[in-house]
Amino acid sequence: METQVGRSWRGLRLPALPGFYWLLIGLLYLPIVLLAVFSVNANTSLTLPLRGFTLQWFERLFETPALLTAVKNSLIVATASSLAATALGTMVAILLSRFNFRGRGLLTGLAILPLIVPYVVLAVALLVLFTVIGIDRSLVTIALAHTVVAVPYTTLIVLARLIGAEPQLEDAAMDLGATYPGTLRLVVLPMAAPAIASAWITAFTVSFDEFALALFLAGREQTFPVYLIGQLRFATTLPVLIATAVLLMIGTLTLILVADRIRRR
Amino acid sequence: MHPRRSLSLMHALVALSIVALVAACGPGASAAPTPGPTTAATTSVTEPTEPPATQTPPEEVTGDLLVLDWSGYDAEDFWIDFKNTYPNATASFEFGTSDADIYGKIVGGSQADVFHPYTGWLQFYVDEGLVEEIDTSRLANWDVVPESFKALGQFNGKQYFVPWDWGFTSILHRTDHIPTVDSWDILFDTQYENRLSMWDDGPGAVTVSSYIHGYDETAITDEQLEAIKAEWTAQAPLNRFYWAAEPDLIQAMQSGEVWAAYAWQGAYATLLGEGVPVAYANPQEGRNSWVGVYGIRKGTPNVDLAHRFLDAKLGQATGENLVNLYYYGTANGDVMAAISDVTLKEAFSIDDPAILESTNFTPNLTAEQRDAWTAMWTEVKASQ
Amino acid sequence: MPGRPPAGAVPETVTAGADPIPATAAGRAPSRRPLNPRRATFWALSLPAWAILLSLIVVPLLFMFGLSFRPDLRGDLLAPFNPTLDHYRQVVETASWWRQLGLSTLMAAIVALVATAVAFPLAYFLAFRAGRRAGLYLILLLVPFWTSYLLRVMAWKLMLGTEGVINSSLAFLGVIDAPLDALLYNRNAVVITLIYVWIPFATLPILAALGRIDVRLHDAAADLYASPWQQLRRVTLPLAIPGLAAAFLMVFIPTVGEYVTPLLVGGSGGTMYGNIIQDFFLRAANWPLGSALSMIMLVVTMVLVVIGLRVVQPRRLLGV
Repeated sequence: METQVGRSWRGLRLPALPGFYWLLIGLLYLPIVLLAVFSVNANTSLTLPLRGFTLQWFERLFETPALLTAVKNSLIVATASSLAATALGTMVAILLSRFNFRGRGLLTGLAILPLIVPYVVLAVALLVLFTVIGIDRSLVTIALAHTVVAVPYTTLIVLARLIGAEPQLEDAAMDLGATYPGTLRLVVLPMAAPAIASAWITAFTVSFDEFALALFLAGREQTFPVYLIGQLRFATTLPVLIATAVLLMIGTLTLILVADRIRRR
Repeated sequence: MHPRRSLSLMHALVALSIVALVAACGPGASAAPTPGPTTAATTSVTEPTEPPATQTPPEEVTGDLLVLDWSGYDAEDFWIDFKNTYPNATASFEFGTSDADIYGKIVGGSQADVFHPYTGWLQFYVDEGLVEEIDTSRLANWDVVPESFKALGQFNGKQYFVPWDWGFTSILHRTDHIPTVDSWDILFDTQYENRLSMWDDGPGAVTVSSYIHGYDETAITDEQLEAIKAEWTAQAPLNRFYWAAEPDLIQAMQSGEVWAAYAWQGAYATLLGEGVPVAYANPQEGRNSWVGVYGIRKGTPNVDLAHRFLDAKLGQATGENLVNLYYYGTANGDVMAAISDVTLKEAFSIDDPAILESTNFTPNLTAEQRDAWTAMWTEVKASQ
Repeated sequence: MPGRPPAGAVPETVTAGADPIPATAAGRAPSRRPLNPRRATFWALSLPAWAILLSLIVVPLLFMFGLSFRPDLRGDLLAPFNPTLDHYRQVVETASWWRQLGLSTLMAAIVALVATAVAFPLAYFLAFRAGRRAGLYLILLLVPFWTSYLLRVMAWKLMLGTEGVINSSLAFLGVIDAPLDALLYNRNAVVITLIYVWIPFATLPILAALGRIDVRLHDAAADLYASPWQQLRRVTLPLAIPGLAAAFLMVFIPTVGEYVTPLLVGGSGGTMYGNIIQDFFLRAANWPLGSALSMIMLVVTMVLVVIGLRVVQPRRLLGV
């Protein structure tokens, strides 16, 4: 195999690599395609055979205010908690990779700790905490809980990027007169930007479909997973829920593809 | 990814999310709907105690009631009488996912005014002083409730709970694979290995064993519990899976994955409506019945509004919605008597009084039983 | 490094507790600033991080720990009580729970290993072969997780069920006589589902680690006549270790206490330790016993992780 020079080094030229990626994509999206099929189908349950084509579930979707509110709540909670978790995770990652201090092991342990605790347990623990402090259960408490559970992911992802990276760039920046905070802002953060973006998306993903914490710590406002599972008790609501999920998926994919187009223009 | 480009991607993502946040938090995104002259409802409003219900005209009743209920019951259909009778009062909902969860939340300091447990769990609330006594003279609809149901909510001669929804538990089976079922012990029949499904619940398992062997549910001895554990451990491989929520069961029975299961009649009515060949057994040991009730949390400032809510819950429209939309029985006896739909009559066995007579109602658990039976069940599952 | 460091700047990573203002090579003592910027940065980062982590993680867990000694849930949650070891005693004495913990740990290890191993070629693809589209490809991997897990599993059950698409097709083609029950509702189904679910997430830390590998290292290896496979083994893999380790931890630790997937696809034989905990919280309202079970799982998991990281020493494995 020919060697590549400079920035065009492209690693192993295995056709299996992209094939592998697309195979996984296929497996990940297969159930979603199925759901899409059923969302325009007159079946009231997820069983074959299919019965006629219909758009009634989408119509009913927009006529159900509780459903729309639940989706909106999920978006709010996911956005808030993912931003907070990313910020926190980045801070911890910088601390662990750029500074030497006595509490390093402890900080690492703390950042990873939420991973060990099952959601049900964390939910009860946070419930007790909020009761003691006197915070009423609401979307805020859910967002706080989601921040907590997302911090390990954001920390690990950003840390994997920052750890052990050569300090030449930062040293050069400081030689040229940058202060340390400036170096962080102008050198370290941009370098870690892809990881930070990944961390943000991960935190958002963790929050958006999370059910156990959202149920336990919910006040009067439900998030979408809580609403969905509650509605699933009554089998007749299944098709509308499927339609909602499919619509969200289509909307998200469209947004992403459009954003990608714009970016590459 | 080129750092510069990814930086702008990151900026774009952050900007997008901020825009989304701002848009979502725009006008109309208040926490709870407050149509009438109520104060912003983040906790239940404390109105001064009103004079007896009959003296205040409904339009002037205000306040927001916080209801701790199972997800799904917040739909307006299930409190439509309250909504229509008191246009200036509102109901908000907190959610619990199981009886244990609701109990935990009440103990844990929930500020809900009213909550919705089921038979079997009621003793705890009474013993620990967590419920207010109900003044049935304030409930105009009290007379439509059958006496046997009223009794379920009575402890020490006082009425603590208002019954609302009820149903059966029995064996639901596909008639094309299993034509008839005579007894609960079909759940142990090795002939149907991998085609059975039991509810994922320890006390439920103890109940079934009690019916089959004639144990006294209220006084299970340690030896009996060991025997029960042994037989359910042997039964475990016969299940296709344990079902935790009705939709799982419904999908499995509809697709033929499961042929016989411990089930509530809601699943039965749903499958009948889908045209699936199923039957709801009348086992020789008798069906089981459970009743859902509403109680008023002790210490709530909204006692009057709570009474109005419970009274409205027994209303006709609410009862009809419960029956027609979700196939659960209502404590409103008049509504039950007026059911005309054939499917529903089948599901509730309305035309067959003998069934109700042989039905066993769920007794109240003690905390020790609850813990011991759940522990037994976890061991059954952990031994596989 | 050309030139001398300007007054007040610190050239290398330095213990924050040490004197941050060294004498410069010029001999001139730098003017005393009110607060060294690096120090200030450290505290600006530390204080919020520690405050939030302590208050939202440590404090609740301490409550849980205290709760595990409470005899029962009666009475006010914050009222004083007589501590008891009964719950821990019950856990220690119940053999089937320990067996379940062991099985769950083993399953979690398998899931983490396979997910990390499968995620590596994916991350490699995204880092080196996907070019400009890597970001898009990455997001595409994660977007399915914004659809309800429950609904996606229901769709899979439609395909894998006894009378599902796969079984019906195979029967139609005459390949099988009786439906394949083993596709769903057993321990294997749980493991496979968990691997499937974790692969996209495991990709992320590996990708992050691969992203910081200096391309010139690969070029240097190529100049020294290393084949691409050798480059992989000698350059890429060793430098990706932090990411691999992070991915493994990220998957292993929460999977020990997993309970949703066993409920959905485990059948009667595929429950995990997390289901026991969940049962006591959500079926029996026995929060103290649930807390005791959780504390034990927490300790066991942490011990395993520490031992694992010491013993395995991923660097040595790869001969670097």
